[in-house]
Amino acid sequence: MTKKNSSLSFYIMAGLLLVLVPISLYLVFNWVPPIKASNPTEQTAQRIFYYHVASAWNGFFAFFVVFLASIMYLWKKERKWENIAVASAEVGTLFMTIVLITGPIWAKPTWGIWWTWDARLTSSLVLWLIYVAYLFLRRYLPDGTRRANLSAVVGIIGFVDVPLVWYSIRWWETQHPSAVLAGGKKGSLAPEMLFTLLFCVGVFTILYFLLMQRRIEIAKLEDSINKQYKEWETLS
Amino acid sequence: MSVIWAIIRKDFQMEFRTKDSVTAMWIFSLLIFVIFNFTFEVSRLLMLQISPGLLWVAFIFSGMLGLNRSFQVEKENGNLRSLALTPADPGLIYFGKFFSTTLFTLIFEALIFPLFIIFYDIHLSLLTLWIIPIAILGTIGFTSLGTILSAVAIHTKQQQILLSLLLWPMITPIIIWSVKTTGDVLAGDLSTAFQPVIIRMIVFDVIFTTISYLLFEYVVQE
Repeated sequence: MTKKNSSLSFYIMAGLLLVLVPISLYLVFNWVPPIKASNPTEQTAQRIFYYHVASAWNGFFAFFVVFLASIMYLWKKERKWENIAVASAEVGTLFMTIVLITGPIWAKPTWGIWWTWDARLTSSLVLWLIYVAYLFLRRYLPDGTRRANLSAVVGIIGFVDVPLVWYSIRWWETQHPSAVLAGGKKGSLAPEMLFTLLFCVGVFTILYFLLMQRRIEIAKLEDSINKQYKEWETLS
Repeated sequence: MSVIWAIIRKDFQMEFRTKDSVTAMWIFSLLIFVIFNFTFEVSRLLMLQISPGLLWVAFIFSGMLGLNRSFQVEKENGNLRSLALTPADPGLIYFGKFFSTTLFTLIFEALIFPLFIIFYDIHLSLLTLWIIPIAILGTIGFTSLGTILSAVAIHTKQQQILLSLLLWPMITPIIIWSVKTTGDVLAGDLSTAFQPVIIRMIVFDVIFTTISYLLFEYVVQE
């Protein structure tokens, strides 16, 4: 991608978000009918659901991109795949962090507790931990082929682990029924709710690509600075 | 095959002379039991419920010592590079290290289990023998991932902490299944979930030994 193209794609995505984010806020807070709930706090809190799920979807998607880019790196050995993998891991961890923050905010008024070792919450936490470890690994290693190889290996193993973690924790939960979940479980989604949800997922996906594009640009800048620095070092 | 065998024999000779890994793991488990006794003062009935979890905490925490040592010895003697330079398939080197670490961990587990029975007054029956395949499957799940991640972490200065950070979230499934099946066995009553869980443990072990075998090449590459 040339410099002109990449800044063009940035302006397009940024422009889209400037329009779409306010619309999504309008949809979430005004347009969608409130859920049937016993108290108004619970009704309002439920509105976080749209951003919560949109972040979760993008978190999973980002980790899938880490997995694919890691395979591509080991296969092609091209720097660009390493940059995509690490960018996606960082952005994905960010989205997972949003999930882990919005989850308890929603849970407190609905279930009466900040945290429960529910399958979705627990799996999200474990996933977050896997990718935080991935970022730690990168931090502990100097730049180079070795770092690229090792992080690609962890990127692949980590993602293969994702469905197993998810599945085992779900199963574990059925073995330990949680007692405190008073009400709360959502039924089928009304059409307006489904539309708002899909809209928010779409907006967040654009946000994901925007952040990815920025992060990859930073990686490229770093590479070119390092290259110039090395040239300068050999000259002096 | 001779590559795998050579690594296992080398590791066993070293372990036999120093007895570093197994003894350290054993003592560490003993410490976990002692500390646990003071941190949680629980009734006997509750103790029966949580003892399977305690056993696996001891296995995993002590097993970490073995995993940390597994590649530490190679690094100290500069063997890591020599291993990478041998014409042998790197996957076979993985299997060699994986088997020796697994065997050390299993030997340590066999040595600590009698103490566990004594300390927590475990009721023995013929069913208790099931603990052997469960320990083997659980340990393989733990060491298959542990061996490759230990080889990853060894390249950093913070290898011990990094290995824990990488390994623990990833082995959540095998811990959940091992504790559950161990609980069934110690309670002397196999639930309907018992058999499917054993199969899942086998699947987990097969998936991660295969993937690690395939990816190990990139871990040792210079």
